[in-house]
Amino acid sequence: MKKIYIVEDDRSIRDELSKLLKNAGYLTEELTDFKSPAEKIISSDADLLLLDINLPELNGEMLLKEIRRSSDIPVIMVTSRTSETDEVLSLSYGADDYITKPYDPTILLLRITAVLKRYSKSASNQTYRGWSVNPAKGALISENNEIILTKNEMIIFQLLLDRQGEIVTRDALMTALWDNDEFINDNALTVNVSRLRAKLSDAGCCDAVETRKKQGYILK
Amino acid sequence: MKTSEFFKDRIFLYISYIVTYGIIFIFMQAFHADYQLKLITGIIFFLMVIVNESWEFFRKRPFYSSLKNKLENLDQKFLISEMIEVPSFAEGKLFCEVIREAVKSMCENVAVYRNNSAEFREFIELWVHEIKLPVSSLQLMAHNNKSELNEKFFEQLMRIDSYIDTVLYYARSENAEKDYLIKETSLKRTVSNIALKHRETLLLHNVSISTSGLDINVLTDGKWLEFILEQFMANSIKFFSQEREPEIIISAEEFPDKVILHYKDNGIGIPENDIPYIFNKSFTGENGRNGTKSTGMGLYIVKNLCDRLGHSVKVISEKNKFTEFEIIFQKNDFYKFN
Repeated sequence: MKKIYIVEDDRSIRDELSKLLKNAGYLTEELTDFKSPAEKIISSDADLLLLDINLPELNGEMLLKEIRRSSDIPVIMVTSRTSETDEVLSLSYGADDYITKPYDPTILLLRITAVLKRYSKSASNQTYRGWSVNPAKGALISENNEIILTKNEMIIFQLLLDRQGEIVTRDALMTALWDNDEFINDNALTVNVSRLRAKLSDAGCCDAVETRKKQGYILK
Repeated sequence: MKTSEFFKDRIFLYISYIVTYGIIFIFMQAFHADYQLKLITGIIFFLMVIVNESWEFFRKRPFYSSLKNKLENLDQKFLISEMIEVPSFAEGKLFCEVIREAVKSMCENVAVYRNNSAEFREFIELWVHEIKLPVSSLQLMAHNNKSELNEKFFEQLMRIDSYIDTVLYYARSENAEKDYLIKETSLKRTVSNIALKHRETLLLHNVSISTSGLDINVLTDGKWLEFILEQFMANSIKFFSQEREPEIIISAEEFPDKVILHYKDNGIGIPENDIPYIFNKSFTGENGRNGTKSTGMGLYIVKNLCDRLGHSVKVISEKNKFTEFEIIFQKNDFYKFN
């Protein structure tokens, strides 16, 4: 399980954030004492850091700069400051993403998945029941066969595969699609899922995508 | 200063000269003075007057005419106190002193208000960051404790958030300080950010969004542009027509010297009479009065922000057919930095 380190001074947000991440299947660790935070964060051996900009006695951007001197842990800045300057500054200090409060929890989770994926090399060679996934080509490839997926189908399939065996909500799928500039509606999502299902069963993976009523989909 | 004005102003003096010479003349007549004496006295007297008056005239006229000229050419009239050259005559010196004192005191007075407004704006910024914390908290709580109410909760939270942003950007747009950052910004990224942010509302209203030609970078402040597009979107959602499927089309065109971003919806449109006023402060128009409540601030702030960023914004609309906003971004190498 991936571990996420939370640096957030608002207690209520910190607790809820931790709950959200635990529900999504991550381990969490929180910074509660803001003395010498950089060392604590680096020694925690976390896989990703969620960092607020406004912190008591120190500035998140400065903290990030300090962390970057000795660690390349993925960092997502989470802040209520909505100015372009803050964003540019954070990214130039080495943040991987920048999200403003109030954030949509679904979007936050999506960004966390994306950043973690970018960092883990092994994920680039995902396989599913003997088919290797090639997102660049938009295809599932086996030794002597190939299934071509459309962009939408690929986005859906990848998200399901990332969380194989777990329920993925329609909202999460929709968010992932919209995040990739595919502004589709509810019906189109249903259509895309059934096309994906048909393609998979043509390839011999029957009942791969199961529908859970009122919850979402699950890839077996 | 016109020559005629100068003489008109001194008419009383001239009358008194004439009267004085008249009295002298009468006295000389009474003493049976010689004809030649009368003539010479007269010539000397009036020559003195002419010399005096010319000296006065040529001393004062350059000062006043240059003063008037400078004032006309000045954009900000109060800067005249910096431009004024102290003349050699006493009234002029006094005049300069008065102007300088007056302007100085006005500047001090303005500084007080400027400070107040800067402080107020700082407070608003701070307040906005603070109020966003409980909103974030609520949003996370709603997500963590799934219930039937969830979607409605989110919708209301989004509304609160957008009202908060209106206050923030109003404060930013009214302030003279430069607190934006112009850099190359991807139109595609900006549009997808706001679409993603409002996806629940858009899906709820079954709005179809299509985009084209957005693979262009423009010079702007990304956050401000997001706010601007959000205002357009908020208006679209408020004023969709009941008669057809709601649709939003966002596209961009690139020219050698500029980029035009088109934002078009197929809503109820804007009545022709209202179009010239829609960017005015507190203007609600026919749509605002008939349908959902409007404050008339959204588009006013949009216009203000565009002015400050150096973009122009236009609206084209046909009632019951469509509304289209255009933002024109100038390409300016001056802003580019590596």
